[in-house]
Amino acid sequence: MTQQDQNMSSWSLTAPGIHGEPVPMRDWSREEVDVCVVGAGAGGGVVGAKLAEAGFSVVILDAGPHWDPMNDFISDEHASSKLYWTDERITGGDNPVELGTNNSGRGVGGSTVHYSMIALRAHPDHFRRRTIEGAVENTDHRDWPLAFDDLEPYYEEVEEALQIAGPTFYPWGKPRRRRYPQREHELSASANVLVRGCAKLGIPVAPSPIATLSAPHEDRPPCVYRGFCNFGCTTNAKSSILVTYIPRAIRAGAEVRGNAMVARITHDSRGRATGVLHFRKGSDELFQQRAKSVIVAGYAIESPRLLLNSSSSLFPQGLANSSGIVGKYFMVQSSEQVFAKFPERINQYKAPPPGGAITEHFNRTMPGVGFVGGYTIEVIGPHPVDFVAKMAAGRGLWGAELRREMFDYNHFSALGMVGTVMPNRKNEVKLHETERDRYGLPVPHVIFSYHENDKRLIKHSIAKMKEIFEAAGGTDVWSDHRTSHLLGCCRMGDDPADSVVNADCRAHDVPNLFICDGSVFPNSTGVNPSLTIQALAARTADRITDMARRGELW
Amino acid sequence: MRSTQEQNDEFRSPYPRYNVLDKWLSPDWDDQTREVVRRRLEKVPPIRFFSEKEAQTLAAVAERIIPQPERKEGEKIPIVPWIDEKLYEDTRDGYRYEKLPPQRQAWQQGLAGIDETAGMLFKGRRFVDLDAESQDEVLKRVQKGDPPGEIWKQLPSRSFFEHILLKIVVKTYYMHPLAWNEIGYNGPSSPRGHVRIWENGLDPWEAQEEARRR
Repeated sequence: MTQQDQNMSSWSLTAPGIHGEPVPMRDWSREEVDVCVVGAGAGGGVVGAKLAEAGFSVVILDAGPHWDPMNDFISDEHASSKLYWTDERITGGDNPVELGTNNSGRGVGGSTVHYSMIALRAHPDHFRRRTIEGAVENTDHRDWPLAFDDLEPYYEEVEEALQIAGPTFYPWGKPRRRRYPQREHELSASANVLVRGCAKLGIPVAPSPIATLSAPHEDRPPCVYRGFCNFGCTTNAKSSILVTYIPRAIRAGAEVRGNAMVARITHDSRGRATGVLHFRKGSDELFQQRAKSVIVAGYAIESPRLLLNSSSSLFPQGLANSSGIVGKYFMVQSSEQVFAKFPERINQYKAPPPGGAITEHFNRTMPGVGFVGGYTIEVIGPHPVDFVAKMAAGRGLWGAELRREMFDYNHFSALGMVGTVMPNRKNEVKLHETERDRYGLPVPHVIFSYHENDKRLIKHSIAKMKEIFEAAGGTDVWSDHRTSHLLGCCRMGDDPADSVVNADCRAHDVPNLFICDGSVFPNSTGVNPSLTIQALAARTADRITDMARRGELW
Repeated sequence: MRSTQEQNDEFRSPYPRYNVLDKWLSPDWDDQTREVVRRRLEKVPPIRFFSEKEAQTLAAVAERIIPQPERKEGEKIPIVPWIDEKLYEDTRDGYRYEKLPPQRQAWQQGLAGIDETAGMLFKGRRFVDLDAESQDEVLKRVQKGDPPGEIWKQLPSRSFFEHILLKIVVKTYYMHPLAWNEIGYNGPSSPRGHVRIWENGLDPWEAQEEARRR
């Protein structure tokens, strides 16, 4: 780097460090950077950090604040809603999705700041579901344009970076080539319940791989089982993007700019992206960030929304949307939850919510069940505010009965599943015709209805979770509907006519535009998606590095 | 009418001696969490959004959804002020059902709807003037989705009850330390964590259960 370059991007900014200390950070705001990443979560954090480390000039923008984990995270449920995307979105369809909570994030680190840390690889079969399962009426689930083997080294890479704690032998998916970097966590009371129930029924069960430290790593201590993982970790044991890839990105010379809401992607007359226009907190002015390439990583609602909001005379249907697929094939993962009461104290408020145990026994297409796809059964640990809302909604309970039932809060144990959902063209994210947000941008209008296949899978999973609880000695078993993980809307594929990006997450229509988050999934897997998003982002960074070095990008 | 003693028995907590606030200065509470909970206890906001009538109706509705008969007026866990603050500041939740209006309108319409239904079922009386049984009858009709009244032709009552009213009232109750006490919730836990995470495992500062009602 020349003397001039260094002056142009001085280390004049500071960012909050993970121990509350100010950390020097470069200022790229006046320069044309090599890469501008929109969204500092699971996808954007990983791809941005790796590209900065590869020597590119990088800016990572996020609509929310740059959290200081020592001071900003509150050990309280209600006060933690600031971690979610709470701008209004309109939700419709036969099964309107509840948004703005578990399935959203706002701020540097994205939803990994509050996620449950379950770090599972997708199975080789998940990448070729169409081949294996065949066509299913009224849905269009596709094989991915890449295979498990393409991602395997990247799963290993991100597992190492996040120091995933897991068992020496994990019985599902492709057998591992390497052990998990850290030893598995202890089982919580709820996890013991799952193990007991499964053992009685002959269902294989295993320790769950999760992204929180079981032993010290670099400057981070092991998990002390506070149980507030869904509200931000105040000890830095949790391997969120905020405390792993973001510090790496900053050290390598990236600027991570919080409170920067991107309104549109700009392009030149040849249709190549030239940067982004964004609002900064406390200002109505649009700022420009010039960039030689743009990576969109805003997740399955904000990514398609940004592309649609970036329409122009050259791209009247929205940027990178000549196929008309942007916003289509929106998916959630079904996440039904089942609760049961036990004579023992369970105390579901402590220990990481995944509890430490899991079964992927039903995460495969099973013969004779009447549906394709599968699901994973996991442990959850809701705190009282979340728990009472589930109990009130799930059982329609209120009044004296509800208050009395809550006296048994410490005796409830909870299971949640993560299930595949079929991609359906009618499920979509579009721009609302009239509603505008605080920036004057059209708000997202999200339409979702379950497919018949999804409903059968859900029914099967609830029955299985109830069986497990009953086998474990639980009583008063009840369930509540829930969804998690937003996927699709910018699906990847080889054919530009019916997909948005290729296997390198590169937009078919705009050669210097990439999309790097859960929106590129062409079908859903039966596992939590974060590790796959991170592995895809790590791979995309390598592909971009190769392409740039070969002169194919700018 | 049941006696006060009966009402008190009905809500006798299995954790009578537990007070989460005893841990205020312990390593379970960090400064930022103390600040949040201090405000919740000491700085209950004034009513700025609801009209007096709306606030009265909501207070009566909340008392049916999560009754606190054993607590005197002024000692009850406040519900209306926090919902009022949410609406005054128009703090959103991140989503709105297509069939429901924006939250301010939904609450105003919903509360007016409850009063309208009360009037139609009980000779023109307001919800606040009904006895508890009749109030429950009104709320059950709203929950079931078949309450009489013009307002419910615009606002889907079941959706209002389930997605807005019920959820927010009960969540507001259980964010209060008094509610944590009665259910034996450990409360804030930062930076101190836990060691005994197994069944019946209790660290020394966790709530001891005394008389569990079965």
